[in-house]
Amino acid sequence: MAEINGSPPGAAEKFTLRLRRFDPESGEAPYWDEHTVELEPHRSVLEGILQAKALTDGSIGIRCSCRAAICGSCGVRINGEPGLACHTHLDHARASAAADGVIEVEPMGNMPVIKDLIVDMDAVHWKKVQRVTPWLIAKQPVPEREYLVEKEAMVDVTQSMACIQCGACVSDCLAMEVDPGFIGPAALAKAYRFVGDPRDDQQDIRLTDLAEDPQGIFDCTHCFKCVEACPKGVNPMGQIMRLRRIAIGDQKIVDKNNGERHEAAFTTLVKDFGLLNEAELLPRSYGGNSWFGKFHPAAGKVLLSLLGVTVKAVMRGKMSPKLAIFGHKLPKQDLDAVKKIYEKIESREERYELNLYITGYDEPDETPVPVAAAASSGEESPAAPDTEGSAN
Amino acid sequence: MPSHDILIIGAGLAGQRAALAAAQTGSSVAIMSKVHPVRSHSVAAAGGINAAINVADDWRSHAYDTVKGSDFLGDQDAIEIMCSQAPAEVMHLEHIGVTFHRNESGELDLRAFGGASMKRTAYVADITGQAILHVLYEQLMKHHETVDRYEEWFTTSLLQDDDGRCCGVVARDVRTGRMETFHAKNTILACGGAGQAYRPTTNALIVTGDGIAQAYRLGAPLMDMEMVQYHPTTLAENGILITEGARGEGAVLLNSEGERFMEKYAPNKMELASRDVVSRAEQTEILEGRGVGAERSGIWLDITKVPRKRTLEALREIVNIGKDFAGVDITREPIMIQPGQHYIMGGVKTDVNGATSIEGLYAAGEVACVSVHGGNRLGANSLLDTLIFGRRAGEHAAARAATIGMPRATDAQLREDSATIDAIIARDRNGSPTRPRRVSEIKQELGDTMNKYVAVYRDQGGLEQALEIVKRLQEESKSAYIDDRGTVFNQDVLGALELGYMLDCAQATVVAAIERKESRGAQFRTDFPKRNDEQWLKHIDISINGKDPARPGGGGVGGPQISYSPVTITQWQPEERKY
Amino acid sequence: MKVAYWPGCVSRGFTPELHGSMALLAPLLDIELVELDRACCTGAGVIAEHNQELADTLNARTFALAQQVEGAELMMNICSTCQGAQSECQERLDANAEYRGHVNETLAAEGLTYEKDPAGWAGSFTNKNFLWLLVEEIGLGALRAKVKRPLTNLKVGPFYGCYIVRPRDRLGIDAEHPRDHYLHQVIDALGGTVIEYAGMRKCCGFPIITMNKDASLKQAGRHLGDAVDADADCLVTPCPLCHLNLDMQQPLAEKVVGRDLDMPVLHLPQLVGLALGLEPKELGLSRHVVKPTSVIDWTTTVVGAAA
Repeated sequence: MAEINGSPPGAAEKFTLRLRRFDPESGEAPYWDEHTVELEPHRSVLEGILQAKALTDGSIGIRCSCRAAICGSCGVRINGEPGLACHTHLDHARASAAADGVIEVEPMGNMPVIKDLIVDMDAVHWKKVQRVTPWLIAKQPVPEREYLVEKEAMVDVTQSMACIQCGACVSDCLAMEVDPGFIGPAALAKAYRFVGDPRDDQQDIRLTDLAEDPQGIFDCTHCFKCVEACPKGVNPMGQIMRLRRIAIGDQKIVDKNNGERHEAAFTTLVKDFGLLNEAELLPRSYGGNSWFGKFHPAAGKVLLSLLGVTVKAVMRGKMSPKLAIFGHKLPKQDLDAVKKIYEKIESREERYELNLYITGYDEPDETPVPVAAAASSGEESPAAPDTEGSAN
Repeated sequence: MPSHDILIIGAGLAGQRAALAAAQTGSSVAIMSKVHPVRSHSVAAAGGINAAINVADDWRSHAYDTVKGSDFLGDQDAIEIMCSQAPAEVMHLEHIGVTFHRNESGELDLRAFGGASMKRTAYVADITGQAILHVLYEQLMKHHETVDRYEEWFTTSLLQDDDGRCCGVVARDVRTGRMETFHAKNTILACGGAGQAYRPTTNALIVTGDGIAQAYRLGAPLMDMEMVQYHPTTLAENGILITEGARGEGAVLLNSEGERFMEKYAPNKMELASRDVVSRAEQTEILEGRGVGAERSGIWLDITKVPRKRTLEALREIVNIGKDFAGVDITREPIMIQPGQHYIMGGVKTDVNGATSIEGLYAAGEVACVSVHGGNRLGANSLLDTLIFGRRAGEHAAARAATIGMPRATDAQLREDSATIDAIIARDRNGSPTRPRRVSEIKQELGDTMNKYVAVYRDQGGLEQALEIVKRLQEESKSAYIDDRGTVFNQDVLGALELGYMLDCAQATVVAAIERKESRGAQFRTDFPKRNDEQWLKHIDISINGKDPARPGGGGVGGPQISYSPVTITQWQPEERKY
Repeated sequence: MKVAYWPGCVSRGFTPELHGSMALLAPLLDIELVELDRACCTGAGVIAEHNQELADTLNARTFALAQQVEGAELMMNICSTCQGAQSECQERLDANAEYRGHVNETLAAEGLTYEKDPAGWAGSFTNKNFLWLLVEEIGLGALRAKVKRPLTNLKVGPFYGCYIVRPRDRLGIDAEHPRDHYLHQVIDALGGTVIEYAGMRKCCGFPIITMNKDASLKQAGRHLGDAVDADADCLVTPCPLCHLNLDMQQPLAEKVVGRDLDMPVLHLPQLVGLALGLEPKELGLSRHVVKPTSVIDWTTTVVGAAA
């Protein structure tokens, strides 16, 4: 039986999988189902499940296809965390399991379960993707050949293009958990793929739409769940932040959701005080980025709703009126230094943005591990001799 | 019952491209896929797509490389069409938004690929298939009002009317188990290859030869089924592909003595010779004792030669694959690979418009054999093939649809298929006389058999063994049992149907391999090691015995029957093939 | 040990009890706090949203100031959001020498430089949240030994929040440093009972309190409610921004989720301080909006007996 996947016997180990089963035709509630499989430790949880399917119970339902983390079919929750079953090693899964070492596999969250580990992605994922107008609206006139596009711009957009639509980010999105209508990390990362594509003609329209939608880019609760969940390094939350940056910084959109006001208030307060002034932050986020913001009706409304708490806080010494009115500041010299930094950076014509996805990480000086045995003379020129140009 | 001008089965590159092309003519179009379209195996294609877009390039050079790559079995009229239309197709992809990598001047960058006399492979890092597939799906989302999508519907049979024309399909909604008859004036098969008949394979679990087998069962001839490509660089354990793009960027192959052995086999192109040449070279090194790894069954692929920054930019996916599936950092150390089953050049025989010999039935992509790849496919030509012939099939079918009425079929086939499925579900695991086997067991034995006897090196004895085993497995599959008795998302029963398809494809492959008594392209017979143009410069066609496409229902369902068809030569006479 | 101490903004603003309790606690743990009073706000991710280079430069300045503290062994913060925001900036600064040089050019105007491997520091520049320092520098054993008032029968729900547990790689969470379990370990070391509940590592909602108040408070309300259902007496959190949304906004959160919560939320230094013998009043427990009466009985004695 250890031969089932071609692994040499002896190297394989036993692993116990606890699968969440649900048979919609039975009328029964979901239940746990344990299977013990035998595979080498670096094999995937998917291979474990497939072994259980092949040997014991072919009725286990899981979407899967490529086994190589590119098709996006096998999104599941393993030990409570979202990811791809084919991309999770059995030994890692066992290490992150509860004390009994049993690997728990459940269907993805935020989506209705059809059967066992198979969920319905239509409403929560695909409809959201459709919502962001996910096709290129090409800049006119369309050239005869290719658009001339800066190399870095294309590499940048490749990060969101790398999304395989697996749903892992959507599964555990905490904003979506309380607000199911939130457009969500996958769809918004997809939106960046167009906003960041120099060939697209609708950057302003796309961003206005997504900024003004109360369930759009400003509904993201900045919790990093999607960044952690994504098996392809798409960094959905990072893409959402870029959408915000471009909407506010380039397109100058002032949305009705207080997103721009909040960002502007926060940033300005730190410039003016060096430290965050919470008492100013709230009213300015609603009423506009100035000292007079607190007199705006929208600000007044929210301040009123907090009146009870404010009184309590002041009475208990949590908040002093002096602090609320004047805030706390850095010493003058340091505040000046901070202001100078602001001025220098904000006056740049183009924002300087380092994307580690593109640049990678610096390496300490290290030569690659040499192949055992002497190198032959043919090793010098890496490129095939008669191809044109050089291989970079 | 749904009725469309064009019904496309399979939503990979070929299928989606056909749908797009057909929709643009105003025809009513439906596309059906047993998985969500973006899960189609096209998504795994990595390296790039060939086109002579460089102003210094010429499509005729591309065409010649393709003809040579095919070991002169490719039909040159089809190859000319593919290569001459390639530049326009790549530009079309660019205009609908594919995020092709750029060079320093902002133009499409081109990388080197196997068998190419000039750099002509446009690419998106090493996720080109994914990038194109997702962009095509974006277009289908854009056209959601004109293209009906049937996602997670499994086709169980092609339909044929009394005059022998294909008039649609019977399909099962995987989610609910509901069966439905779909009428269509034209049906385009775009179901991909049959790699899962081999173990290991680079192919996804869904690549089970559905379209090839269904067309075959309907009476359409299959062509060049013996031509099965083994990709030179697949991971030993699970068959996962390491793209040729790595070698295109400068990676080299080394044996246990640390030598770049390709110098012996292809001194000119080295690692970028055609895939069959490279796979055979590797296999020879392994057989002669210069393999690497604990069992000396692999070869080193050394990507450390490529500047690290370039690797991270253009080969990011294989960096991830190396790390996740082999525990290797490819920027620091070599990774062990071996030849693995990857692609089938053979398939349903079509003309240059994707039309099969059955009226109303088209095929495009890996499921089809036009043939543009002949005995061996060049890397980055498959993405091209799917798009060019997917488009042509869509357009041709749309034109045909304008001239005919909507065919009608009875629900006889639906009732038959429903009964078949019920019968499979009801199979008794304790049935007599012999102990019935599990579907998964039979599939595994099939895969091992094909990988043993019908791989890089073949001979009569081995092939005959394989044929015997395949026939036995076909018998056993008739009583093979499954576990799932349910209706909702019953993957088990679909697996049983897929097993039947794989066995049919395997049988055709073995029969054709036995028939071709020469070595050409991917077929290497140790008992007939030379290419023999005099006797074998022709295609081998396989049709189901006794089935005459012009007389449906006539003749029994029998085994494969062999015939031949000529190779179309336009410009390039066969010559000795050296890399 | 001496640390370059970044107290954050909110601890000196709306959660002064955090600042005060940390000041009282430090000597009991033999920590000498050298406050970085010249440093500015980390941006909490919002300045980075506005302009990445700006956030990186402001935080590089803070790091440079920390590196100037004579004899400091590392930098310490008392706010998860500061930790998360600063770790993100530090990641970029450390990853790319060219970028680091570019940022240092701006700092040069003040005569400051951010060094990836500062002279006089053991290893590279390190910025740790107090929670990490407690477990990794002081040690659970040493902490246990200092307990004077074991939190016996106190059921504490850890609220980690987001910025200190995700993404794992950036925050150095691995098998040797199970930082996403440290609150569990500390509560245990102090003699308390750890209460696990669904919302332990979910988001308090603070980042969207102005953009989608309803969704923000629903998160806070739900996670507090989960803790109530799990029978916790109180929560403990290493982040004052979480504290704002969980404590100060609790009355509004109750309205949004339609249930009474009455769940007091303690700052980490307060919980540790109680166990080490400090008095509730001096720890500022009376300043909370949701009074921690389940932790402290105002009329009689405190939890457990002071040793």
